[in-house]
Amino acid sequence: MITVALVTGFALVLAGLYGALTNRNILRMIVSFTVADAGVNLVLVAVGAMPGRTAPILDAAVPVGDAARRIIDPLPQALVLTAIVIGLGVTALMLAYAYRLHATRGSLDISKFTELKW
Amino acid sequence: MVSPLHILAVGLGAAFFLGLLNHGARVLAYVVTVVALLAMTAIGGQWLWAFVVAGAAPVTIMTAGAPPPFAINLRMGLPEAVLVEIVTLVGLLSAVYMREALMRLGHRAMAVFLVVVMALSGLILTRDVFNLFVFFELIAIATGGLVLLSDDPRALGAGFKYLVVSQVVSMLMLIGIVFVYHASGSLNLDDMTGTPVAAAGGAAALAFFLLFVALVIELKPFPANGWALDVYQAAHPGFSAIFSAGSSTAALWALDKVIGIGGTPWLPIAAAVGLVTFVGSNLVALSQTDDRRLLGYSSVAQIGLVLTVIGLRDLLGDRYLMIGGGILIAHAVAKAGLFWISGLVASRELSAWAALRRDPFMIFAFATFVAMLAGLPPFPGFYAKWELVHALVADGRHAVVAAILVGALLEAGYLFRWFGRALKAPLPDETVQPPVGAVAVVALTALGGWAVAYGWGEASRYGNLLTVVPLMFALAFLVLEWLPAWIKNTVAILGLVAGFVVAYPHFDPMQMIFGAIILLGGAVIFIASYTFAHGRRVGFYPSAMLMYAGLAMLIVAKDTFSFFAAWEVLTVGSYFLILRGKESEPHALSYIVFSLGGAFAILAGFALAAQTTATFPVEGLKQVAATHAPWVFLLLAAGFMTKTAALGVHIWLPGAHAEAETDVSPMVSGVLLKAGLFGLFVLVMHLGRQSLFGVDLTHAMLWIGAGSALIGNLMAAFQEDAKRLLAYSSIGQMGYAVFGIALMNNLGWLMAMMFVINHYIYKSSLFLSVGGVAKRTGTREMYRMGGLITLMPLSFVAVLVSIIAMSGVPPLSGFGGRWIFYNAIMDSDARLPMAVIFLSGPIAFLYLFRLIHTIFLGQLKDEHRRVKEAPIWLIIPQMMYVAFLIGFAIFPGLALRRVDDFIGRFMPEHGLNWTGQTITSAYGYWNPVAIMIIVAVIFVVLFLWLVFLNHRAQMVKQFNIVFAAERPYRPETTHFAWNFFAPYKRAVGFLAEPWFERFWQAQMDTLHGTARFARRFYTGNGQVYAVQVIAFVVVVYLAALGGRP
Repeated sequence: MITVALVTGFALVLAGLYGALTNRNILRMIVSFTVADAGVNLVLVAVGAMPGRTAPILDAAVPVGDAARRIIDPLPQALVLTAIVIGLGVTALMLAYAYRLHATRGSLDISKFTELKW
Repeated sequence: MVSPLHILAVGLGAAFFLGLLNHGARVLAYVVTVVALLAMTAIGGQWLWAFVVAGAAPVTIMTAGAPPPFAINLRMGLPEAVLVEIVTLVGLLSAVYMREALMRLGHRAMAVFLVVVMALSGLILTRDVFNLFVFFELIAIATGGLVLLSDDPRALGAGFKYLVVSQVVSMLMLIGIVFVYHASGSLNLDDMTGTPVAAAGGAAALAFFLLFVALVIELKPFPANGWALDVYQAAHPGFSAIFSAGSSTAALWALDKVIGIGGTPWLPIAAAVGLVTFVGSNLVALSQTDDRRLLGYSSVAQIGLVLTVIGLRDLLGDRYLMIGGGILIAHAVAKAGLFWISGLVASRELSAWAALRRDPFMIFAFATFVAMLAGLPPFPGFYAKWELVHALVADGRHAVVAAILVGALLEAGYLFRWFGRALKAPLPDETVQPPVGAVAVVALTALGGWAVAYGWGEASRYGNLLTVVPLMFALAFLVLEWLPAWIKNTVAILGLVAGFVVAYPHFDPMQMIFGAIILLGGAVIFIASYTFAHGRRVGFYPSAMLMYAGLAMLIVAKDTFSFFAAWEVLTVGSYFLILRGKESEPHALSYIVFSLGGAFAILAGFALAAQTTATFPVEGLKQVAATHAPWVFLLLAAGFMTKTAALGVHIWLPGAHAEAETDVSPMVSGVLLKAGLFGLFVLVMHLGRQSLFGVDLTHAMLWIGAGSALIGNLMAAFQEDAKRLLAYSSIGQMGYAVFGIALMNNLGWLMAMMFVINHYIYKSSLFLSVGGVAKRTGTREMYRMGGLITLMPLSFVAVLVSIIAMSGVPPLSGFGGRWIFYNAIMDSDARLPMAVIFLSGPIAFLYLFRLIHTIFLGQLKDEHRRVKEAPIWLIIPQMMYVAFLIGFAIFPGLALRRVDDFIGRFMPEHGLNWTGQTITSAYGYWNPVAIMIIVAVIFVVLFLWLVFLNHRAQMVKQFNIVFAAERPYRPETTHFAWNFFAPYKRAVGFLAEPWFERFWQAQMDTLHGTARFARRFYTGNGQVYAVQVIAFVVVVYLAALGGRP
């Protein structure tokens, strides 16, 4: 199961990167990046997965004494949550850029914005 | 003590508060922003004070009431305090600088601004690797937002490209972090450092690689950095200052923290990437014409250099922080300052910076920042350069040293080219009235640069250069700039004389000769400066005194560090001085590039001689191990001979000396050239003869000296411009002196010393006479002059006496020089170079003759009928020189006798015998008084005879000598004094072809061609940039792990 998740995650990352680097349309690039982000998050979850363990909630079912053996490591999930939030922020900013670029330049083709070079 | 956590809390809290404000409350929002930044700066400053002054120990700050790894912790130590202070201060000043832009965009922009400063501080403080990622992302998002502050419509595209690459980098970093966590079980940097991830090998190494390479890409490594360059170019200069000084600083520290986890195998990779970035970016920068993009390339390069230092930290040991910190702080202050200045300049081409000339303080600030970036004394980069080169050479990493020095020379080249253009380009029509706040920010930064220089000097183990008396005296002239020039001139003269009076009891005879020429001789030349002492003459006195300060420090330097510092001071002072001439921009650039190249050779030579010690007494050159000694000799000799303009590296001299101002020419010719001779004396006295691959290096020097004498004299003979003639003649004269030193016998050195004195006198006198004539006639071309003997008799006398002295005919001191010279040659067995130098003697007559013949004799030109004698202040020093030349001719023993004794300590054999008025050598004797009497008698007799004959002479009218069928497209071709030595030119002109100019020009063309070609790599397409980043990752991966997982 972990392997499947890992493979899927990396596949999504590569697919997203491929899409972001081959599509000239900025909106398609942004969508591709969200695909890649999802892949990264999947990888994070997969790395943190510990089969057969329970949720990291300390209550009657999981006494503090055995917690270390019975609960999963909550940290990767916290990381994923943070990464999702950040990903959202970056995506929103990129979309704002796309909007402004389209409004000022009338185009969404990344290869048109090469006035700064060399 | 306020916890450093409050830096983050204040920034974040104020940003949230700004979000709540009404859109109209701009003033309130701006006040909140500035107050918050002030508070952040104050907290950082308080910690900095605690570490520097009170010597506090580093502290760890817990968050969330739990120790790591259960919660994030921060660390505040000395490096963190310094870096946080840089970031917050740059943020604060940028907020002041960008007041208009921030007010226009409102509270949201200010909130983002606060977030970026907060996140940069957090990046420096945190000890948690995931926290690093969060701060990096915050910085990326905030940067994306702040790029939009720019008025430049291209910023939109630049910001988007930046975000695209940030996305790629953040993926790498995130995947890296989670696998590193998986392998080590902690996100805390200190825990991970305990269990090196890379040592585990396999997947863990790959995980660390991803994290590592993501951090490296954050540092904009060459060539995967097009995205960052576009941001530098398009963003608001206030933000570019943060992006250059703040973001890079924080990211470097992040890498420094993380690289510890991976351990030593990763250091060489960082060093290699840094080195490639440093050299590559500086190379591509050569062909930049946009000021901000140029600054971008330079920023990237400097960060690359610090990355190299990080990669070498094992080697550098406890000096690591001093070296890396010195480069980084100099970079941060200078780059922020330059970006801020660029906002005060209306258009983007480099010559538009000429607008700064309207405010001399801005030129001072510009010069300060350029000197900081170029690593010149007394700024931190200078100490760092010294330490770094010494450490690398001691470890035998000569290739790394060579690469760093080449990169540094490229950087100095384009920075000084830019500075020269700003000083010399025509003033642009466009003017911007810069906001007062912005100007104040630049001024504060420039002064801050000097404060940092002082602090760094105090902290260094070499002593503070800023407290060296001559340098302080020179810098005091910056403060005195408001005074009228004649007062400053008087202060300068008194200062030089007082310096000599105070110092001379401690001089040995050789120092005495050089000290008298530099300090007293310098004072005499300053008398001529009264001619030009109208108004304030801004910039002249600080530059000139900087050069004299460097020279004065040079001759008393006890150890190699102070010797080298003095060398750089005199180099940079004389550069500013030479640059003052009207047409001198390209020549001043050529001068500074050759000089810095020479200085780097000297630095490398000292480092090679020092091995593991950092600095050693100059006399210690005697003890250099035999394996290194020839190389030390080679490097030092190359450096010193660059200053004496030896054949091959002479091409800077003619333009630099000829285009300089009238009173500057004698300073840089009569006085400055002696620095190179002093260096050569020190070198041969302590290192003696050295052989490399069977070649006796002093023998090579003999050939170079002879070649310089021949070619210099020959070139001088073919000049039309009188000052260029004198300049080429200096090359020849210095060739004689180098030849004398290289003879390696008692008399050779004595003769070189004689040249030191004589060349100062007659060349200074001639430059002043010719300068006076040029001032009166409005031309420097000799064929346009003529017949000035009656109108400018005193100038004529000065020229006549000087050329008699220079040509070496009796009775003046030049004859003494010749006499010693011939004796010296008898002692030597180098026959072939001797023949060359004999040949160049008569050639000197050719050009000296022209000075009298074409300028003063012959027919007076119509337009010069009303010309007056040169100004009195130019004549006074010339008359002093005339008197001295005659006096020195009669009593050469006054100076030379003691020098002869002194040289005798090194070379006991074949000295001269000074008894009574006769000087005896192994081959004959010389009686100056008798010669003077004999020549005077002959002269008087002949003179009276000529006066007697004179009544028979007829006056000749001017007439046109053009032949009937000639069509003079160029009128001067018909003038008999134009191309005067045409027959000789046909015979030996091939020797005077500018071979060396062509050689160096070809080098320059190659460099520029490479730069123009390489920058095509930056296509401007965001996707291409992203692909380059990925390709960079693959290349580093293959290099680092060799394809193994």
